[in-house]
Amino acid sequence: MTKELLEIENLKTYFYTWAGIVKAVDGVSLKVREGETLGLVGESGSGKSVTALSILQIVPRPGKIIGGSISYRGENLLEKTEAEMQSVRGKEIAYVFQDPATSLNPVFTIASQLTEVIRRHQNCTKEEALKKTVELLKLVEIPDPEIKMYNYPHQLSGGMKQRIAVARALSCQPNLLLADEPTTALDVTIQAQILDLLKSLKQQLKMAMILITHDMGVVAGVADRITVLYAGRVCESASSKTIFRNPLHPYTRALLEAVPSLVLRREKLKVIPGAIPNLIEPPVGCRFNPRCEFAKQGLCTAELPELAELEPDHYVACVRAREIEKEAPFGGLR
Amino acid sequence: MKLRRSAKAELQVKTEKARSKGVSQWNIAWRRFKKNKAALVGALIIGFVMFLAAFDALIAPFPPNDLPGFRAIPSETRVPPSFKYLFGTDFVGHDVFSQVVYGARSALFVGFGAAAIAMSLAILVGLIAGYYGGLVDNILMRFTEIFLVIPFLLILLVFLKVITALAPSGAGGLSMVTLIIGLFSWAPNARIIRGEVLRVKESEFIEASKSLGASKRRIIFRHIFPNVLHIIIVLTTLMIATAILVEAAVSFLGFGDPSSITWGQQLQKANEAVKEAWWEGVFPGLFITLLVLGFSLLGNGLRDALDPRLRE
Repeated sequence: MTKELLEIENLKTYFYTWAGIVKAVDGVSLKVREGETLGLVGESGSGKSVTALSILQIVPRPGKIIGGSISYRGENLLEKTEAEMQSVRGKEIAYVFQDPATSLNPVFTIASQLTEVIRRHQNCTKEEALKKTVELLKLVEIPDPEIKMYNYPHQLSGGMKQRIAVARALSCQPNLLLADEPTTALDVTIQAQILDLLKSLKQQLKMAMILITHDMGVVAGVADRITVLYAGRVCESASSKTIFRNPLHPYTRALLEAVPSLVLRREKLKVIPGAIPNLIEPPVGCRFNPRCEFAKQGLCTAELPELAELEPDHYVACVRAREIEKEAPFGGLR
Repeated sequence: MKLRRSAKAELQVKTEKARSKGVSQWNIAWRRFKKNKAALVGALIIGFVMFLAAFDALIAPFPPNDLPGFRAIPSETRVPPSFKYLFGTDFVGHDVFSQVVYGARSALFVGFGAAAIAMSLAILVGLIAGYYGGLVDNILMRFTEIFLVIPFLLILLVFLKVITALAPSGAGGLSMVTLIIGLFSWAPNARIIRGEVLRVKESEFIEASKSLGASKRRIIFRHIFPNVLHIIIVLTTLMIATAILVEAAVSFLGFGDPSSITWGQQLQKANEAVKEAWWEGVFPGLFITLLVLGFSLLGNGLRDALDPRLRE
């Protein structure tokens, strides 16, 4: 088995707001192996982005990482100083943001934004950096890179900008790419192009990737493994195949049942009732219990379920997982 | 037919060039600025006054502080405008036109000097308060508010009086007036810059540069500063206009530097004789108005041209 590149143990990131302490990430554990793509899935507010921002320690105020460990190649990133982290960011682990319209600095040319990163992490002259920029733009399939690199962001289309943002993240050959909903702000055809690009880049460069999304369709095609988050906790974590064929957590099932299907001609799509709970005072017991159709009083409201390896390499945080499997087997997607 | 083809080819070369060049924010702003007639008039006025200031010795018919009207026999003090004295003479015999020409340099000196001091402070305070936020922001903004609540002109007059009293030998003269105007007028600008920094700081590209390993200093100066530069340029232009106006007011009230030739000083001297000799006050007054108007028009034009929210 390939070894672990990144291993997060019991990560806790809280936001200290006026209204109270928001437990955005409350004990998340996950791992990413070398060269593997992990899909991080969940609703808005489930802690996907905060987990990713915590890896690079760029959680915006008033957020603070208060516990756990993030080990990257055996080193705990949380023990590093700010200066040490600055050389990890961009060089070892890079981040692609959701909205390409705002993630590029509007007052500089593409070339100057890419060379800035290259020269920050690699010792090279301006000419070498420019040469690398052209290569990077070719890599992300930008036509006429020699001309386009002197353009400003506002001269490019949304899809083009996202390619540039990807190129910038890749400029120092990171080992891990954090892609935070990289396709959400784009229209569907462009989404497909960017996903194909990420897939092929991952293979060419042999890097690992964490793909954050709320779209099950997106992860289905790209991810090797999937970790499902709900209200700052991991619900289920398994290989992509397992998650889609045999989900054991009711939340994962509910998410999958909410995806429109071509084969099952349902009259109405199933929805998950309610919204993600208030993270200042989360529900007692399993956080999903108020919305869960299988919840049992006393059992599910008693204590937080721990993540358990129910099958080899299939982790589930639900006390009733086995019972539910017998009671109401998952019908599958097709 | 042949001609048409060559024109087409030329066009192709042109678009190719334009494409490879990239249209920066400056290009866009310049294009928009050119269309604004009022702003161009403003720039023209400022250019004219700068021209006067640069070649004052050549343009003015008499040297500074010369008293041609007093020297003349019979004396020509307080004579109305004529070919010899374009703007007339004042009560001691200064040529008003020459004085107005020399006043141009003082006005620009005060305007640019005070604006440079005020804007440096405003940028420093605004950037630091806006970027660091929290306690730093709180302390700096409360400090700024102290400057905002004291009556500006009053404190200026008190300071000038105290300084001239402590150092009677004309300590610094016009430079001192400039320095004090600068030191007391940065506060509103600091607040505006801070607000703009707060807006830019939340942008995703700031987070992106953080995620790529940029240091704090790099983020402030390379990523935030250029994105608030447009507002700084506009504020600087308007600050220059304000400083010129304030110097005129201070001089008019008799707290300026009496040994320098400024338009405000001229106004003050003309004050007693408005009825008998209108030309003594009207011409310097006109130039103050004109120059301040010039900077205001330019400032407004720049604001329209540089505002990133207005895109054609």
